[in-house]
Amino acid sequence: MSILNRPTLTDTFETLDSFVPDPDSAYVFGLSGEERSAHSESWEARAVKVQFVRVSQERDEEFDAEIDNEKCTVHLRSQKELAGFWRKIGKRRAYLDITGLDHKVWAPLIRSALNLGIHLLVVYVEPGDYKFNASPREGDIFDLSARISGISPLPGFASLGEMDEKDVYFIPLLGFEGIRFKHVVEQIQPDDSRILPIIGVPGFRPEYPFFTYDGNRPVIEETSAWSRVRYARANCPFNLFYVLDDIAAAHPWATLKIALIGTKPHAVGAVLYALLGGRSVELIYDHPIRKAERTAGSSRALVYNVWALSLSTAHT
Amino acid sequence: MDIENNISAEEQLSRLFGGYRAEWLKEKIFDLFTAPAYLPELSDNRPCMLIGGRGTGKTTVLRGLSYEGQFALTGSDASSISTWSYYGLYYRVNTNRVTAFRGSELTENQWIQLFAHYFNLLLCDALLQFLEWYQLKTGTTLSLPAHASKEITTSLHLPDAASFKEITEKLSISRIAFEASINNVADRQIPPLTMQGAPIDTLLRVITSHPPFVGKSFYFLIDEYENFEPYQQQVVNTLIKHSGQLYTFKIGVRDLGIRRKATLNPNEQLISPSDYVRIDISDKLKDKQFEDFALKVCNDRIRRLNIPDAQIISDIRDLLPSLSEDAEAIELGVEELVSSPKAQLFALFPEHAKAIGSLHPLFIYFLSEWAVANKSDLQSAFSDYLSSQDKWATRFGNYKHSALFGIRKGKRGIQRYYAGWDVFIQMAASNIRYLLELVDQSLLNHLQRQGKLNQPVSHKDQTYAAQRVGKKNLSELEGLSVHGAQLTKLLLSLGRVFGQLASDPIGHAPEVNQFHLAEASEERNQITQTESAVVGILESAVMHLALLRWPGNKLGAEGDTRDYDYTIHPVFSAFFVFSYRKKRKMLLSPDDILGLVNSPQRTIPEILKRHNRTEEPLPEQLEIFKGFYEHS
Repeated sequence: MSILNRPTLTDTFETLDSFVPDPDSAYVFGLSGEERSAHSESWEARAVKVQFVRVSQERDEEFDAEIDNEKCTVHLRSQKELAGFWRKIGKRRAYLDITGLDHKVWAPLIRSALNLGIHLLVVYVEPGDYKFNASPREGDIFDLSARISGISPLPGFASLGEMDEKDVYFIPLLGFEGIRFKHVVEQIQPDDSRILPIIGVPGFRPEYPFFTYDGNRPVIEETSAWSRVRYARANCPFNLFYVLDDIAAAHPWATLKIALIGTKPHAVGAVLYALLGGRSVELIYDHPIRKAERTAGSSRALVYNVWALSLSTAHT
Repeated sequence: MDIENNISAEEQLSRLFGGYRAEWLKEKIFDLFTAPAYLPELSDNRPCMLIGGRGTGKTTVLRGLSYEGQFALTGSDASSISTWSYYGLYYRVNTNRVTAFRGSELTENQWIQLFAHYFNLLLCDALLQFLEWYQLKTGTTLSLPAHASKEITTSLHLPDAASFKEITEKLSISRIAFEASINNVADRQIPPLTMQGAPIDTLLRVITSHPPFVGKSFYFLIDEYENFEPYQQQVVNTLIKHSGQLYTFKIGVRDLGIRRKATLNPNEQLISPSDYVRIDISDKLKDKQFEDFALKVCNDRIRRLNIPDAQIISDIRDLLPSLSEDAEAIELGVEELVSSPKAQLFALFPEHAKAIGSLHPLFIYFLSEWAVANKSDLQSAFSDYLSSQDKWATRFGNYKHSALFGIRKGKRGIQRYYAGWDVFIQMAASNIRYLLELVDQSLLNHLQRQGKLNQPVSHKDQTYAAQRVGKKNLSELEGLSVHGAQLTKLLLSLGRVFGQLASDPIGHAPEVNQFHLAEASEERNQITQTESAVVGILESAVMHLALLRWPGNKLGAEGDTRDYDYTIHPVFSAFFVFSYRKKRKMLLSPDDILGLVNSPQRTIPEILKRHNRTEEPLPEQLEIFKGFYEHS
């Protein structure tokens, strides 16, 4: 697949005040407890004719939301109910703010919206700062049970086909927590020579790519994956999408197993690639348990026009 | 595996010894295959459960039984394929697939039906892939009569197909449809499901009616059975229980990975030996058997080194020399330590100067430490020795090994040597992966210090290697399971306790490096929350090889957690500096275990105090965990 000029299809708003959702659209969001997910109220006050839909509860298999003051529960593994959700909202243009939503909720919502041809824009608000220790010392012990629930497919993205391991490339989208990388490698057991890590460069801060290398050093070193590292802008799903596309083009018969253990925009890029890339893709996710205090404040808002990407890929 | 001679010795070693995981070796696995002694038991027609910890060689053996493995191991001779007595089909349970079959949308009974169907598709697909491979390798075409095809497609709810290839294609489409229904399982639009085992039986009946396969068996080699959900194990157990002439199962599973022994009939259990042969690798590869196996594995790999114009010591035992206890004591600097007591003895007992001169410094060290520990003095101790030499010989025999731990107490650098093939065999505790790691790291250290492979590896390099392997595996524990942090913390705390007990040996029970759990009081049968948490931690620790366990005094085959004795896996002994030998045990309560995990700062000194010890400063290699020991 080739997309002309590879546009990044992103509008960047330097302050949250400078963004207002377009009229006659819907705005689906959730509140995670992180400060940066709490902007919707002020946007709602400023927006005109925008239907704000809050996802009030996220559970493993379903979510609750309120549409026109009416509560509804939607199963994540039900294309009928997901489509019903969007239909009930009834807008051709919709924003999906993933900042305060879990992967298991926003990923099936993107899939469903694109299937219905909704003009979908994904919103992501960057934090003011990360509060957690981005550069852990050797000897720090990470409690994975307080961090992940374990590997299982994202709702709607299970793939049951067995593939020849010789044809599989494992692409971890790396974050700071090397222990998550260790865990997925232990579970997936990819061939060392077919591990192609992707690191977010440029990162949210200039030093973050180095923290990423440092946090993931043991596995990168042990598997010699350092020699195969690729880079994609940490906050850009489209850049990630194109890097994945390049990898796929270089390995035309391969299946790509992509582990979503890095940034949220990268996860969006991987989900989009699974939906639109036209290749055999398996997503690996370890379901982290997010802590409210992991970030502080909020900075820029990024609006990704994923619908436009779906049109570009449909025409190629 | 052919190794080109232009590759450096380090790189060659890394390829031969560094790829100690079957999963990493992938297709190279068969080049380095060494048959373990229990292979014949596994190769017959009965269902088997191959039980062993991570790194004990389950995957290697199962893949060796697969048709790809057999082909490679028989010299890739296509003409021999039709003469094989069985064909093995390898499948590793994939967590990312099997966890799709759970969730509150359906009841467990409904999931059972869906999973049983998925498993049918999976095994049928594996059989069809094998047929494709067989035809490709042998240059034959297997015909498929119309009635046979109809039987297969009907049992799988597939449209009509004219050949095995077409069935494979239709099965793939059916699988995609099934995948879509699982991805939308709450919509409950489930395609027609197959009956458990029925399509496998049908397909195999057709396959075994073809001349090359008449009278042949098919083995489903299921690896990492522990990854199945408990109800999924029941589904597979049912197939195992009722497998017969056409096919059988060879299951690879970790210790404690069998979570349900029942079949789908709640009154029916999978029982060994009537339903399956239980092959416990740690039993089968014990002591001498393991050593012989390991020796063959290592020496086979050394033989493959291809370094022009270089002589290579061909026997790993000669490459990794050991140290006697006496020699080790000298290396550790015991002579310097005993110079003053020895001079004192000469002064006190001039008439025994010859005898004193002939005493090994380690004995003099022991004698003087014994005197201090028993609030006596050197003169009395030596007088007692002169009058009761047999008693002292026994006493020294009991403490000789443990005395080595005290020589460099509180000093920097190597506290004890962990060197020698025999020592590595004990440290590996029947785990071939650990042994290869120890050998690999030792040889790499040796080469990095400009050593040659015609020279033995120094005791120092072996010891540093042993420490490094311990540290590496400790840090890997975290990622092994979701609860890896608890295991890491337990290991750090227990290791510290045993390390401290070892460093102050004389006057105390020597070589305490095991524990057992305190009995619950008889009047209280209820399991407390603490006990139940401890059971979970200990079982997980055994499953992931942080701990080893074996039945205690009063136990038959299986019992509850209290009936076992536990020890830290000896591969960690060099890192924490305690004895790799299985010796004496201490009593710990469930509260102690939880305390070691959750509040080591308080619990470690408490346990040491009960054993009349106090905590000393951390040794160098543990300093990176200072934060854990001091602030947890």
